[in-house]
Amino acid sequence: MAEEFSQKQCLVIDDFSDMRAAIRSILRSLGVNHIDQARDGNDAIAQMAKKRFDVVLCDYNLGPGKDGQQVLEEARHRQLIGIDCIFIMVTAENTREMVMSAAEYAPDSYLSKPFTKELLKNRLDKLFERKAHLAPVNKALVAKDYGTAIGELDQLIAASPKNLADLLKLKTEICLAANRYDEAMTVYEQVLAAREIAWARLGMGKVLYLKKHYAKAQEMFRQLIALDPNLIAASDWLARTQTALQQFAEAEETVRSAVKLSPRGLKRQQMLGELALSNGNSQEAEIAFGHAVTLAKHSVLNHPSLFANLARSKSSNNKHVEALKVIGEIGKVFSNTPEATFYKATATATVKQQQGDREGALEALQTAEAAIARFGEASHATLSLEMVKTYAQLGEQDKAAALLQKAIANNHDDEEFLMNVVQACREAGVEYDTETAIREIQQDVVKTNNLGVRLIKQGEFDAALELLHEAAEDMPGNKTINLNAAKASIMKMEKLGTTNEDIQLVRRYIGRVHALAPNDWRLNDVISRLRTLAPKV
Amino acid sequence: MDFSDILASSIHDIKNSLGLILNDLDELIANPANHLANPRQASLLQHEAQRANSNLIQLLNLYKLGTAELVARIAEQNLDEFLDEVVAENQALCQALNLDLSATSDPDLIGYFDTDLIHGVLNSTIGNARRYARERILLSAETVDDYLVIRVEDDGSGFPGKLPQWLPDDNEPARNLTDPTSDPSRTRLGLYFAARIAQMHKTPERTGRIRLANGHTLTGGCFELWLP
Repeated sequence: MAEEFSQKQCLVIDDFSDMRAAIRSILRSLGVNHIDQARDGNDAIAQMAKKRFDVVLCDYNLGPGKDGQQVLEEARHRQLIGIDCIFIMVTAENTREMVMSAAEYAPDSYLSKPFTKELLKNRLDKLFERKAHLAPVNKALVAKDYGTAIGELDQLIAASPKNLADLLKLKTEICLAANRYDEAMTVYEQVLAAREIAWARLGMGKVLYLKKHYAKAQEMFRQLIALDPNLIAASDWLARTQTALQQFAEAEETVRSAVKLSPRGLKRQQMLGELALSNGNSQEAEIAFGHAVTLAKHSVLNHPSLFANLARSKSSNNKHVEALKVIGEIGKVFSNTPEATFYKATATATVKQQQGDREGALEALQTAEAAIARFGEASHATLSLEMVKTYAQLGEQDKAAALLQKAIANNHDDEEFLMNVVQACREAGVEYDTETAIREIQQDVVKTNNLGVRLIKQGEFDAALELLHEAAEDMPGNKTINLNAAKASIMKMEKLGTTNEDIQLVRRYIGRVHALAPNDWRLNDVISRLRTLAPKV
Repeated sequence: MDFSDILASSIHDIKNSLGLILNDLDELIANPANHLANPRQASLLQHEAQRANSNLIQLLNLYKLGTAELVARIAEQNLDEFLDEVVAENQALCQALNLDLSATSDPDLIGYFDTDLIHGVLNSTIGNARRYARERILLSAETVDDYLVIRVEDDGSGFPGKLPQWLPDDNEPARNLTDPTSDPSRTRLGLYFAARIAQMHKTPERTGRIRLANGHTLTGGCFELWLP
């Protein structure tokens, strides 16, 4: 095994030099020759940006600045470490619970301090073996080819290896990403038939949620929490379900208790703030967004919207001066990215309006309009929603309604976004019957889409194309319409041969969807079909 | 900050120092350039430092039990792999003390428990067994009456007192567990902790326990974790 380790690139991250030296000497004794060290999170990120590591050993507690979890988040988020890299989080018993409650971005393994070299060797051997074992699955995952990934995984599962439970869990995660809910459900049922296991029960709830069986999902998450109140993921999902059921007050309560258990989760604080703000609890919102801004300080997930919302909450609590100060921070923290400029402007408009400075508010609104225009046709739905809120708060109800209509049309099948729309309208007092609008727009879009799909099936490509093309130009942000327009063109070309014009068109549709949601499960199929038709381009 | 918090954070600090001492000792012993008149002395030093370290970890966990912060994360685990890792961690020291440490289990045996916590319990149990074993320490796992039973046995003189003994004992409340003077030869605190960890593993019908016996397959003491 020693030769196996000798070529591996290792990074040791610890703020304590004695600890780094100790870990380094353990690694050396295992035959590792290439060892780099980092003394804090920023140092670690800088090194990972320059060099590819095979193994990262990172202490959770890194003193001031980023903690180990934030290092992992940033490394994965910015893809500084590949799927083959082994990331081991080193924990002390006083950080165990903190580390375990981080739901997203889990490390490959945890090691509690102190550990012996034999233990580390044993663990590394096993992890390298696992990664090698999973290599074909991971390769397919990198290509977002979920079908192949599941196929490869099924082969591994058939041999019922020692890590069968891990493989089954991985399979369900891929199934959920690929919208293969029934397959995931089968695995959950299979696991639960042997024994009550929290991840499988939780997964069942997720499938129920994703299939919009909200009441059943809610019951399942409630039961899980009753069994183990510390299962924070169940609380997170319960809150999402309650939001979907429009039980906003209950959702806020659920998130509040989850935040008490695990106050370091950024997304959770953000969700609490948003719910509190739309429920009219601006005091609560101010506290939650205050925490979120602090937590995000060293995080790659830091975002100007957190500051904008903190400012908005403060302003609702009549702290206008403090609010403007928070807005001033946006420029310092995010320099002048288009997003930062936009959020700065929307927040300023709201605060000035609440201050009674109508002129200042309108001026900021113009800046916001100019900023959002710079995003072009593919402006993200959340930006539109922020704009809608701002219009409404400034009394520009007509503009709010028009933009809202567009946002709904672009996202007619994204239930979670539509729920955000409902929530945002409550918060900002948009004078618009949101739910009726959503229903009507949905019906329209679905009708167009279905007609297009039917025409494709009947082989009436030109008619289908004309219809879907028009719809796609009307709703450039609608992923489903653009994907179906792409599919119509592809099917036409598969039957009648390619034309340069059609290929360009398909690429345009795919480009739009990719810009909005690079991980969309439907993209891979369309892209690979296009490649078959036009391998050179 | 009350006194127990201060205590906990000092223990944490001491534990970290001990961890560094252990690493240095490890290197000291492993380096062939060092000549020790009596290498066994160094190993004994290592043994005691490691025992102290496991005890401190247990103390910290007990503190967290008291503040209800300690949560068992139950996950499926292959026993063969798990015991392999426990043996790996304790092997070097046992070898230095001329003790044979090994593990046996069905390669397909699966259990449901918090690997971190059970690992900690086994480390300190092995630490105890090192003091009493003559030549051998044996880890094993099997299913008995639908429970997963993990055993740590040694070939020493065995546990004193009335055996087998269940902890916690339904007939005899935890009185003897909390009184460290009731049995000076074996640390009762360790057993108390082990029993509490076992109890954190439960299904709606059953709860984990520990059992002390003598002469299972080896002649000496046999510590058993019964997990549902």
